[in-house]
Amino acid sequence: MSFRAKILVIVALAIVVAVGVVAVGVTVATRRAFEQQDARHTEAFVTQFQRDFDHRGEEVVHRVQGIADAEATLRMAIDLGRPQSDVSIYVSDARGLAASHQLDFLELVGNDGAIISSAQWPARFGYKEDWLTQPQDWAARGAFLKREDLPDGPALALLAVSVIRVGDRNLYIVGGERLGKEFLASLVLPEGMRALLYRNLDLTFSVQNLADASGPVAQAERFQPLISQEQSQPRRLSAMVHWTRDPASAETFHALPLLGRQGELLGVLLVGSSRADLVGLERAIRWLAIAVAGSGILLGLLLSWWATARVTRPVRRLAEGAREVAAGNWSARVEVHSRDDIGALARAFNQMTEQLAEQRERLLQAERVAAWREVARRLAHELKNPLFPLQITVENLRRAREQRPEQFDEVFRESTATLLAELDNLKTIIGRFSDFAKMPPPELRPVNVNEIVRGVVKLFEAQFSAVGRPQITPELYLAESLPVIQADASLLHRAVENLVLNAMDAMPAGGSLTLRTAQRDGAVRLEVSDSGSGLTREECDRLFTPYYTTKQHGTGLGLAIVQSVVSDHGGTIAVESEFGVGTTFRIELPGHPPPRPGAPAKSEPGGEA
Amino acid sequence: MKRTVSQFLVAASVAGLLLLAAVRVESARRPRYGGTLRVEMQAAVSSLDPADSSAEPSVSAAKEKLISLVFDRLIRLDANGHPQPALATSWDHDSDYKHWKFHLRQNVRFQDGVALTQDVVAQILATANPNWKITAAGYGIVIESGSPIPDLLSQLASSHDSIVRHAPDGSLLGTGPFRIAEWQPGRRAVFTAFDDNWEGRPYLDSINVQMGRSPRDQMIDLQVGKADLVEVPPDQARRAAESGARVWTSQLVELLAVDFVLGRPAAEDARLREALARSIDRGALANFVLQKGGEPAGSLLPQSLSGYAFLFPAAPDTARARDLFQQISPVPPPLVLGYDSSDPLERAVAERIAVNARDTGIIVTPKALTKEAANADAWLQRLRIDWSSPRNALARIEDAVGPPKAVLPALGSSPEEIYTNERAIVDTFRLIPLVHLSEVYGLSAQVRNWAPVSAAAGGDLRLADVWLGLPSGDAR
Repeated sequence: MSFRAKILVIVALAIVVAVGVVAVGVTVATRRAFEQQDARHTEAFVTQFQRDFDHRGEEVVHRVQGIADAEATLRMAIDLGRPQSDVSIYVSDARGLAASHQLDFLELVGNDGAIISSAQWPARFGYKEDWLTQPQDWAARGAFLKREDLPDGPALALLAVSVIRVGDRNLYIVGGERLGKEFLASLVLPEGMRALLYRNLDLTFSVQNLADASGPVAQAERFQPLISQEQSQPRRLSAMVHWTRDPASAETFHALPLLGRQGELLGVLLVGSSRADLVGLERAIRWLAIAVAGSGILLGLLLSWWATARVTRPVRRLAEGAREVAAGNWSARVEVHSRDDIGALARAFNQMTEQLAEQRERLLQAERVAAWREVARRLAHELKNPLFPLQITVENLRRAREQRPEQFDEVFRESTATLLAELDNLKTIIGRFSDFAKMPPPELRPVNVNEIVRGVVKLFEAQFSAVGRPQITPELYLAESLPVIQADASLLHRAVENLVLNAMDAMPAGGSLTLRTAQRDGAVRLEVSDSGSGLTREECDRLFTPYYTTKQHGTGLGLAIVQSVVSDHGGTIAVESEFGVGTTFRIELPGHPPPRPGAPAKSEPGGEA
Repeated sequence: MKRTVSQFLVAASVAGLLLLAAVRVESARRPRYGGTLRVEMQAAVSSLDPADSSAEPSVSAAKEKLISLVFDRLIRLDANGHPQPALATSWDHDSDYKHWKFHLRQNVRFQDGVALTQDVVAQILATANPNWKITAAGYGIVIESGSPIPDLLSQLASSHDSIVRHAPDGSLLGTGPFRIAEWQPGRRAVFTAFDDNWEGRPYLDSINVQMGRSPRDQMIDLQVGKADLVEVPPDQARRAAESGARVWTSQLVELLAVDFVLGRPAAEDARLREALARSIDRGALANFVLQKGGEPAGSLLPQSLSGYAFLFPAAPDTARARDLFQQISPVPPPLVLGYDSSDPLERAVAERIAVNARDTGIIVTPKALTKEAANADAWLQRLRIDWSSPRNALARIEDAVGPPKAVLPALGSSPEEIYTNERAIVDTFRLIPLVHLSEVYGLSAQVRNWAPVSAAAGGDLRLADVWLGLPSGDAR
């Protein structure tokens, strides 16, 4: 990643993080404020509900007391107080009384607790309401919640009891209102809030017992965990209910337990407040943050683009200069305009390249001297050996001419033969140097490497099994589907020949010579292995250095020539050797050698330039 | 002197007042011709043709009351169920009850003036009873049957065998005390006096009948003076009487019972039927729901008719009912108890039965249904009690309920045999008797010489001898 890109990313990240932090902070603060407001609304509603509930209870008490105070009721109580009184004539009275006093429930109950008349369940006359006859100050009790059995199932009632005492007999007036959807509909709720009532009339959670002002509640089973908690321990609880995957559909419900006369849980008032406003606000903040962040990023990118362009332009020039230096242009320089850190860096770069060029020049001169010294040493070494016999031979001729003239002719013949032989030797040495100096560029033609390998082996067949020489066994493993490559056959032949000669020299006691070819990703691999004594690591490292040899009479040019041929074909050569086991040279030749610098491209039929 | 004069004046005034009162009492007791009797009823009778028997039981009872105003029969049953002469003055039969001879009353005319002859009577009865061979004789008619007809007199006293003639214009003509002046099916009927009635002209000029009136509306109309004769539900009778209304109560003429529908899964288990029968508190039904307008019934026939009804316990046995219900496995589905949606009394009874059944564990769902809706497991039925004889009463109840029937004993069977048959019916718990009901009428103060409805005669209204004591405005 470029410096400019890094700068841009850093600037963008900084803007996003900053906007994100602000957005999260605002969201959290908004949510907290909303929840506080919701809590205040809920608390206000609960307080209002409690007040309304108490007021309704007082109303119920008032109406029931009104029935008890009525003249007709008093006459009924007096009549029922008589011995052998007939209660059956009052069996239908409760319904009319309930209707006239706007009560949903009304029962007239006799001294023994038996129902005389029931408005809510007329057919239940005669059945006992034992809880009424238990000692209790009903006047002080006020209204209370009670489960009331009805023909179509139990209901939740807000009841009050009034007692008319005639002599030693009581007439109980039990009246009340139904706590259901009508009750919920009468509650005044702030916008966004609603009230649900769960009537705890069964042992377990039942969806039929949950209703709001409009009737049964859809997906009522979602309230089961909250109601179950209330059933296990009645207390004020809160829970969030998600109706759909959309967070805006969620509602926060506050549960208010409604307890009966004995403290038993008879109902749960659920006050729900919609989170739609909060979620909508959060979404607005989020979108605003995204818009601000997007704009900030765009603006930041433009600014940072402009700023980094000023900063990175000299840096890029420095980078280009460095690349030129790396490519060999030691004279590359960077223009310096600024006086800041980048300018100092550019000046240092220019100073560095100047010093590098000077040091390279000095190094080249030193290398040239060393090379000439090495050549001189080699030449001296190579020429010294034949020169000494020449000197001895000439001295023998002079000595024979002076001391034994009669043998001079014979000595002359022998000496001239020796001189000629040594002169041939000198010529050969000079020829080798000349050949190395005159390595021709390869002339590329379609070449089958297998054919070259077979040709070299055939050339040396006689020597492998020469009389008086330890046997060398050639082993060929040539790939059948070896591709034809573009190469100079004579140069390759010469390289393989040098490797085979080198291997034969490495196996003075005989052994096996293995030549192996293989295809590798369109290139050709050639391996030449011997079972000789192997080389040390130092020998391997210096093996391809010109004039380096491990042999007594080698010129050190054989493997240098091989490396030169391989390199001219765009290939590579490597050596693996294990001391005491053998050595393997591995050549990789591409199918199409890269064009040599300055060499004219040649076109071949069916090949490529 | 002054004292003597004043004493004389006081004595004369008292004597005058006593004389005036005596005159007024005598005037009130003397029958008076004229006036219109305003009758209201809940049932909506759609046809007065006795041959049309498609109406529901409650409508049929109302229809029989109206039929008796227009049409006579050969025989009439008295309050004790004994046959009395009507269009037939005398009769005799052979020892096998297969050959009957009836002497017809002379000088009887239909309401269009046509004379009643043996041929006409034979033709009418032959049409209504195709299984009989009916021939006209010089003295009257002869009825012959291949099988004994021991209860022929009771049959001839029923509305089914009313002497009805169809006029060419389709109207119905009889020999009864009133003729049909206006007929709006299900709504209104006006009957006018038939001057040439063989029993003499009735006192009333006409009878105006309003049908389809609710009990509440009828009671209001009676109290505000818009009606002279209204029906009062049994449970309202006591309250009506306490409010000052003139109320007349008949003997027990109806049986209110739970009738299980055969083939319904909930009604097939006899243990369930028995459990329900034993769970019902009939005393509470009679005393509270019916406001003592009926009597608890453990039997089909009332005690006063059969004499053995005390052998059928009417008290609930909740423990036994609970045991029976617990034997049923799996637990049966809720039992739907249908009742007439237009009858508040049936509704109250059905709801009380549901409450009693709940104590046993049986779930009973009262449901207001029409008879066409066949989704009730049991129905509340109001069955007419025929007071002509226990046997006939039992037969009539069976006819109303339907199969399966018990084998009834022959006429003249001993009470033990009739008891055995009734016991056999009751012990199937196919029909659970609840209460026996009376008929209650509310009467205005002007109605005089009110002749009670004859239960034995199937609830006929005997209005021929009724007269109105005081004129009451233009409505008359």
